Amino acid sequence: MVGDLAQSEPAGPEPLPPVLSPRSKGTGPRPSLGAIVRRAVPFVPAFVPLAIVVAIIVTLIIETGLTHLPGLLGSNFNPTPSTGAPSWGIMVFVVGSFLTAVPALLLSMVVGLGIAIASVTYLPRFVSRILDPFVDLLAGIPSVVYGIWGYLFVSTYFGNTLNPFLYDKLSWIPGFGGQTPPGSGLGIPISVFILTLMALPITTLLIRDALRTVPRDLWESGLALGATRWEVLRRVSIPYGRAGILSAAFLGFGRAFGETVAVAMVINIEPVYPHNVFQGTGTIASLMFALLDSAYGNYQFLAALCYMALALLAITLVVNVVGRWSISRLSATEIAGL
Amino acid sequence: MALASVPAIETPSDDLLFDRSARTRWRIGFDRWIGRLLPLLFLVAILPILDVVYYIASSALPTLTLHVLTDTNFRDPDALGVPIITTAEMMTLATGLAVAFGLFGGIATAEFLSDRAASWARTFANMLAGTPSVVVGYLGYFGFCLYFGWGYTMIAGVLTLSLFMTPYIFRIADLAFSSIPRHIREAAYGAGAHPHQYILRVGAPIAFPQILNGVFLAVAIGVGETAPIVLTTHGSVILPTGLFSPAQFLTATIWENFSSPFASAVALALQAAFILLVVVVGLNIVVRIISARYRKRLEGLFQ
Repeated sequence: MVGDLAQSEPAGPEPLPPVLSPRSKGTGPRPSLGAIVRRAVPFVPAFVPLAIVVAIIVTLIIETGLTHLPGLLGSNFNPTPSTGAPSWGIMVFVVGSFLTAVPALLLSMVVGLGIAIASVTYLPRFVSRILDPFVDLLAGIPSVVYGIWGYLFVSTYFGNTLNPFLYDKLSWIPGFGGQTPPGSGLGIPISVFILTLMALPITTLLIRDALRTVPRDLWESGLALGATRWEVLRRVSIPYGRAGILSAAFLGFGRAFGETVAVAMVINIEPVYPHNVFQGTGTIASLMFALLDSAYGNYQFLAALCYMALALLAITLVVNVVGRWSISRLSATEIAGL
Repeated sequence: MALASVPAIETPSDDLLFDRSARTRWRIGFDRWIGRLLPLLFLVAILPILDVVYYIASSALPTLTLHVLTDTNFRDPDALGVPIITTAEMMTLATGLAVAFGLFGGIATAEFLSDRAASWARTFANMLAGTPSVVVGYLGYFGFCLYFGWGYTMIAGVLTLSLFMTPYIFRIADLAFSSIPRHIREAAYGAGAHPHQYILRVGAPIAFPQILNGVFLAVAIGVGETAPIVLTTHGSVILPTGLFSPAQFLTATIWENFSSPFASAVALALQAAFILLVVVVGLNIVVRIISARYRKRLEGLFQ
């Protein structure tokens, strides 16, 4: 019976007739060589980005020379030791990258979610129209400006006020106490702060877009059932926009993980695991940037940097592609501007 | 008169209409308070912006003179004439190259590729846009500076920067042409337009403002880039004499001077940062104005 019912159901709307456009394949005779070439020509410019990505990967692989470097996956990075053989543990920087990017991502997701909810739900339209561009402007400020601001100005606040406070009050948390007292304001906390600011516009914009795609009917039927705005948000809007919120997390992470100059300026680069958060460490990107000059002529050093570049590229590419893929269902015209 | 004959609805007492239980009052109060507190999070974003602008401006403006902005004499270490002019030259070249690399690809993706090929092309453009700038800088350093043997030259910096900017132009061109309403395409092709006639006469005028917007945005992103530039060209004190001479970009000046022990060098970095901030914020405002006008025009055209 069920099968009969299913069969007797009327078919959906007729599929649209094909558009007359260069996309539709003609049904004429076998295409000539000229036609094949004409059809192939658009592929050349369209895959320029692929060519660039391939060029990057090939260059990096050639430069590593696939050299075997002792202790590459270890935790001891010492390219020019006073005695003995150099060691190339790049794991220090992978850990450093995650140590800065993950807290920054969490903070920017929390704040971004709050801002997006306030902007979409609670503020009057004209107020959010005034305030939203400020958040978007955060994305426009160059990273080197963040860096110089952080290094010259914010670091004094961190060094004099915030870091001693954290050291006093939170020393029971592993990573906040320990041997190294907070000296200058440079280190992980200020890096996390700067990265949060840099990831914030991306997460806010994407979450805002995701919440705006929630149909008005759903919103109003929720309210009509007696739910408060907060309840509709929690039970309807956020589940509805979860793909967009997830992609905000991925893209914000990509931004924070790959950030180079701002972090290089404020993290107080040292190639060691930090004893606590107030000590300097390094991220992959900032170290690749800061050490390239001193690696000139030292082929093992250059190879180690290129392995780091490949690791960074692999991690960010995976994160980005997954993020974009989860976004692809959303109509998000503003994303192209990021 | 007819209205009067409708019986008035009897208003139920408040107790029947409204649930006054403690739980409901809590729910409504929570909603109201969260609606008042969440907007305060805007401060987390707005205060740093104002602080960056205030700090950079207040420390750069007192010493910023016309002499600092325009002097190109290499004997004067405290002037920004060389990096400013070099940056303008390099950005012009890099934007031109990026448009050449990206624009046609975006149009081809939107107009000529099958859906499947287009989605692959978009994926690769997104991959490139998501590549950290320092990795693109490595391509420039190992490819242009070392393998081609150009060293720290303007052309290496320009090419690296243009590779970095390409995906942004690509994506905005693709988006602009993809978002042209279907009926306009159909009308053009239905009237017998050749694809190049459609693109030049119909598509380009509609997509132009958005593409221009994207170019401005790409310039704003590119002019603030440090890693690809510092890795491929920096350390010059004179104006470039040709494509194969060293060049000094504005962001490189900041990077070289920000941690200097000399106060005058730090002041120079701050002045450079201020100029950069003015340019970037100005471009962002221009983009906003264009896109607002464009949206209005679109509504007028297609509604």
